[in-house]
Amino acid sequence: MSELARSFAAQKLADLPKEPPQPLPATPEDREDEYSSESSLSSTGTVLPSPSQHLVPAPPVQWTKYFAQELFLQHKLPSADEAKYHVYLTQPANLKSPLFVCHHGAGASGMSFAPFALSLRAALPSAGILSIEARQHGSSILNPDGDTVNDFSIAVLRDDLANMITLVRERLGWSSLPPIILVGHSLGGAVAVELAQKGILGTSLLGYVVIDVVEGSAIEALKYMQGILSSRPSSFLTLESAIDWHLRSRNLRNRESAAVSVPSLLRRTADGKWAWATDLAITQPFWEGWFQGMSQKFLSAKGAKLLILAGTDRLDKDLMIGQMQGKFQLQVVPEAGHFVQEDAPEKTAEMVVEFFKRNDRSALVLPPKVSDLIAQGKKV
Amino acid sequence: MSELDKAIEQLRACRPIPEPQVRELCHKARELLIEEGNVVGVDAPVTICGDIHGQFHDLMELFRVGGDVPDTNYLFMGDFVDRGFYSLESFLLLLCLKVRYPDRITLIRGNHESRQITTVYGFYDECLRKYGSANVWRYCCEVFDYLALGALVTGAASNLPPSSAPFADPATAANMASDTSDVEIEILNSAGQITNRFPRQRRSPHQPQQQAPQPNSQPSSSSQDADVDDAPPPDSQATLSPSPSQSQGTNQLPSQTGAPGTSASSGARSQNDGGAILCVHGGLSPLIDTLDKIRLLDRKQEVPHEGAMCDLLWSDPDEIDGWGLSPRGAGFLFGSDIVKCFNHKNGLSMVARAHQLVMEGFKEMFEAEVVTVWSAPNYCYRCGNVAAILELGEDGSGGGYVPKSNGDVGRSLGLGGWEGPVNGEMRRMGGPGRRYRVFEAAPQDSRGMPAKKPVADYFL
Repeated sequence: MSELARSFAAQKLADLPKEPPQPLPATPEDREDEYSSESSLSSTGTVLPSPSQHLVPAPPVQWTKYFAQELFLQHKLPSADEAKYHVYLTQPANLKSPLFVCHHGAGASGMSFAPFALSLRAALPSAGILSIEARQHGSSILNPDGDTVNDFSIAVLRDDLANMITLVRERLGWSSLPPIILVGHSLGGAVAVELAQKGILGTSLLGYVVIDVVEGSAIEALKYMQGILSSRPSSFLTLESAIDWHLRSRNLRNRESAAVSVPSLLRRTADGKWAWATDLAITQPFWEGWFQGMSQKFLSAKGAKLLILAGTDRLDKDLMIGQMQGKFQLQVVPEAGHFVQEDAPEKTAEMVVEFFKRNDRSALVLPPKVSDLIAQGKKV
Repeated sequence: MSELDKAIEQLRACRPIPEPQVRELCHKARELLIEEGNVVGVDAPVTICGDIHGQFHDLMELFRVGGDVPDTNYLFMGDFVDRGFYSLESFLLLLCLKVRYPDRITLIRGNHESRQITTVYGFYDECLRKYGSANVWRYCCEVFDYLALGALVTGAASNLPPSSAPFADPATAANMASDTSDVEIEILNSAGQITNRFPRQRRSPHQPQQQAPQPNSQPSSSSQDADVDDAPPPDSQATLSPSPSQSQGTNQLPSQTGAPGTSASSGARSQNDGGAILCVHGGLSPLIDTLDKIRLLDRKQEVPHEGAMCDLLWSDPDEIDGWGLSPRGAGFLFGSDIVKCFNHKNGLSMVARAHQLVMEGFKEMFEAEVVTVWSAPNYCYRCGNVAAILELGEDGSGGGYVPKSNGDVGRSLGLGGWEGPVNGEMRRMGGPGRRYRVFEAAPQDSRGMPAKKPVADYFL
């Protein structure tokens, strides 16, 4: 569809009566902790609009199509702040099956991994997937006075992620952690690397996957970020126009993914419009700290390493050297934009599953060492 | 002047040749390559080169430092394309030289000589940009499928013939052994001056390892006690540097054998008695314990995702025991026990390979049983590394060197002896005489470089 047709459609949409689609998993207060079983999926099955129908406001896509359950996890932080974490979860078949723990980027949400989760489970049915939401991105952190805490430093984001993993384990009564693969997109990549490097997960951590973020290019891009943020529309009249804006601006390139993730980024305002749920401007003082030193941490942390990029030219010097010395695996998805897992969910899932299988310790059999052969009296 | 010579001239000027000519060139190259075995036999003297990655101007610098074709014999260990901006010109020039001087230049396959990799890392896009279609890329990929997987260098001299090359730093010279009859390793800078020289070690338990060249010997690292500041800055070095012909001249031997890496003589012996050198892009494979197993592979295909052929192009040596999982996602890591066992079994003195960026240009590991040679200086125009090539001389006068071959010294020690001091004894002979020429990136000509890509729209 041409740009013109798109903007025309967008205008059309704006003119449509604002029959509000039911608010999606809207505010945490609206939702109770709930466990939806797989069987309830059929009743909430939703039909995605095909491109030709998209002038009609889409029924909101529910998370239930992509995850088995959502959890709200209460936790008192050492700072005395009260955390209410929000995560989506599909449990692994058993504690020997891998759990993929996903952390979205700044301004995104746990639904950023929704289509990816489906593809991943299709390729590896025994796998579990935990898609967390960072503070002010679905999780909330309140100080004892009940005010929102605006600390977004990499260390607290890392601890949030670690807490969520621990709380899920407690909630579900797991005797141990399953083998974990961290998957982080953008800021989430930085958080995953930070967690991996701290070694908090111990031997449960099998490896980590970083999607389209590299210290050098991220820091270089930061100076443009204010401009980009201020040029975004501050609100949308309908969810459909918000989805459309994301596709037209090429921020997202996959309509199905956009239909799932974009509504989760927005909250209904008093005047009936849809505004951004997360105020990225308040995170700005932390941006540089998110990415500073990330390349070295990525290279030095323990565990298998996979970097998925939308373009090869995004490698900085450290990672270029590291790649050419064979320190990690690099996969490139040239057809995707920055939101690789949303633009190409199947391909991304395929890469991540292959990465897991390769590094699966339980299945790994290496050829024998020379000394072992000798010990067995074999001729070498 | 033949069409081929004209094409060489044009490519040397970094100008692509027309599509029909590429087609014909690739056709001829395939006819030539199909005759080569999976492991090509190469006689010393020869100059071994690592990754090039489309850095055309640096390839020209390599030829300036190492001598031109056909005066110098070359063996390129793959990764000609991708990343750099002139993959096309670099690969086609090497291919033209191969067709023009088939006995003077050997090309083996790297992991980037593959359809899948080149579509991601630049070569495909470059062909499309320069020709408007993917035809040339397709012709080149067909050639890739015919490239040999390895090369076996035989007849290399155990000691470097004495060279009269000047020392870069007279203070270093004073520290070095005046006896040049037993030089195992010599390191030269791009101006043809010796920066370091190591006599063949008679290792004994009392002689600490530091006497031997450091495994990752940086040209200057071992001469740190000498005043490094005396070395002229690169600019003034360039003005001091002799012309290519002069630098060849300074290495001329009194004998007729010619300087290592030159082709003054071709009467090399072909048997393995001096310990042959296996050249391969990546490294070893758990599926390959003898050279014959490489010879039996069906190589005329796209590089597979796993298996012996994949491993040869993807594996890396590492400080581990046995085999390890490669972080690259393809191939394996292999430890010193694996290499020593493989070399011993196959009568090899050393495995030379490329594939891994080395900031110092080359890196010897496992008591010189493996060497990595990297020939793309300032890789990808940003890594700040130097490059190196490895010259092996022709065995004419290698007196005093006991050839290592099957049934030789150490065999009787049994195989338990890979560890512990006893084995140091067994391995005392080391590899062939090795002359490393280290060079920096050529001054960059920014023409033809794609404009810097705009930064990503959104990056949080």
